[in-house]
Amino acid sequence: MYSLRNLTIKSFHEGLVEKKFSALEITQAFFSYIKETDKRIGAYLNLNEDGAVMAAERVDIALAQGESLGALAGVPLAVKDNILIKSLPATAGSKSLENYIASYSAGVIQKLKKEKAIFLGKTNLDEFAMGASTENSGFHITRNPHDPTRVPGGSSGGSAAAVAAHMAIAALGSETGGSIRQPAGFCGVVGLKPTYGAVSRSGLIAMTSSLDQIGPITKTVEDAAFLFKSIAGQDVYDSTSVETSYGDELMNPTLQGVRNLTIGLPNEYFPKELDGEVGKAIEKVILDLETLKIKFKKISLPFTKYAIPCYYIIVPAEVSANLARFDGIRYSRIDEKRLNAKTLKEIYTRQRGEGFGTETKRRVILGTFVLSSGYYDAYYQKAQQVRSLIKNDFEQAFKQVDVILGPVSTTPAFKIGEKISDPYEMYLCDLFLSPSNLAGNPAISIPVKETVSQVQGDGKLPIGFQLIGKHFREADILAIGQYYEKIKR
Amino acid sequence: MPSPINKKLLKHLAELARIELNSREEERLSKDLQEILSHFEELQQLDTSEVKPMTGGTSLKNIFREDEERQNKYAGAGAEVFPEKEGGFLKVPPVFE
Repeated sequence: MYSLRNLTIKSFHEGLVEKKFSALEITQAFFSYIKETDKRIGAYLNLNEDGAVMAAERVDIALAQGESLGALAGVPLAVKDNILIKSLPATAGSKSLENYIASYSAGVIQKLKKEKAIFLGKTNLDEFAMGASTENSGFHITRNPHDPTRVPGGSSGGSAAAVAAHMAIAALGSETGGSIRQPAGFCGVVGLKPTYGAVSRSGLIAMTSSLDQIGPITKTVEDAAFLFKSIAGQDVYDSTSVETSYGDELMNPTLQGVRNLTIGLPNEYFPKELDGEVGKAIEKVILDLETLKIKFKKISLPFTKYAIPCYYIIVPAEVSANLARFDGIRYSRIDEKRLNAKTLKEIYTRQRGEGFGTETKRRVILGTFVLSSGYYDAYYQKAQQVRSLIKNDFEQAFKQVDVILGPVSTTPAFKIGEKISDPYEMYLCDLFLSPSNLAGNPAISIPVKETVSQVQGDGKLPIGFQLIGKHFREADILAIGQYYEKIKR
Repeated sequence: MPSPINKKLLKHLAELARIELNSREEERLSKDLQEILSHFEELQQLDTSEVKPMTGGTSLKNIFREDEERQNKYAGAGAEVFPEKEGGFLKVPPVFE
């Protein structure tokens, strides 16, 4: 017997090759469970039932014919709806893309297809991945599986909620400023934001090209390491992706290797105002890691407080450029009525006015402002200079330590509606997250032990901690995470 | 620094961004942008006169390759959803009135 709750990528593969179940059986079990559960959560925007069933059947046939299968074969995954899968809708959570069907698959999807992974469906997000609560979706909100009155975080809220509510074994999310780590933290699952350049963004609907990355959301750090390894590497269709050489250490870290690492604790990530519960949870993590004989060192990242204003100038600037492609023509089904517009511009302004939500309009217009003549130097150029200072913070810190540890968010998941009317309050959710995005470093969010309740609805909310690594040293943060998971308490 | 955002500028920005706003949205965005910009002011305290701006996500180096001919597999993809099209091209109203 199996339970969908206990399935990880690893245990699924073992069960599949030992013939405890078939890929088809599990895929169908997931769909009936999703249909029953997702009415309450709202993690998915659309399901890929026919495609998934066909893919599962192919995996079972391959297995029956004695083909050796990789560990992702037959694994049911959820995919954030800003990542293209050929012939499936890709809305990026925007009404403006309601009818768009992807004409090709993203680089990461092509890799996963080769491994015979199965895509259950596309998950909800803040429109174009802009937000920290998934409330900005043009379609519906997503609820936190641990407390349906609370948000799952965002923008990859659908992916995090799907994994947390056992509606997928693992998922892909995307992160620009905390959009994988924060929802993972709020939902009690693991989320990895890879080094900028480690994973192809071809087929990811671009939001902020100098920051966007795709990464895994999983139940265990081990699964995150595995899924990351499967999607990493250079892609000719993303000129910022680089040749990577992640070896065996990603999956098989050694305790001695972990002991040789020094973890830095930045003063700026432990302010006095830190929520009591969060502070206590992080202290527990430090005590646990000390039992592994890992060394700690106090450090400083002095420009942390400038990261939010810096981030919220750079992001809207790039958003205003990237979203220009959504002209109401190329990715939309235009009705005849709109073709009656007298000029091309009329189509643009009307379609964008109707199709974009509030936060999207806010960022496009703010971005247009910070890039406009007369304001460029004071805002955009200034932010790019501050970004250099923030990157330098990390460069200096990583001369003294190998990994940086801190909280993911200042509080556990907040209530639905609590921050949506105050945009800047929502922006502050990224306080401990956006600095590492601006600097391009890899970072992982891991649930603190004993804060993740096994009983849904008992009021206990998950709390996440994060580990930030040196560029292309995902191995370090994944190693500490894998050993943290093994600690018995 | 007094906020540069006023209704006239907002209308101009919306025009540049090709987004139609109704008057309620203009009202709200005006207020939001003023508030957001006020938080950006702390950046002005920093002396960055000697700092080189970071212009991308990485410190990329240029890589050169020979120009080569390549077939585009996706040419015309997406045109199927458009009501008026011809040979992979979309028919739209005139650019100028």
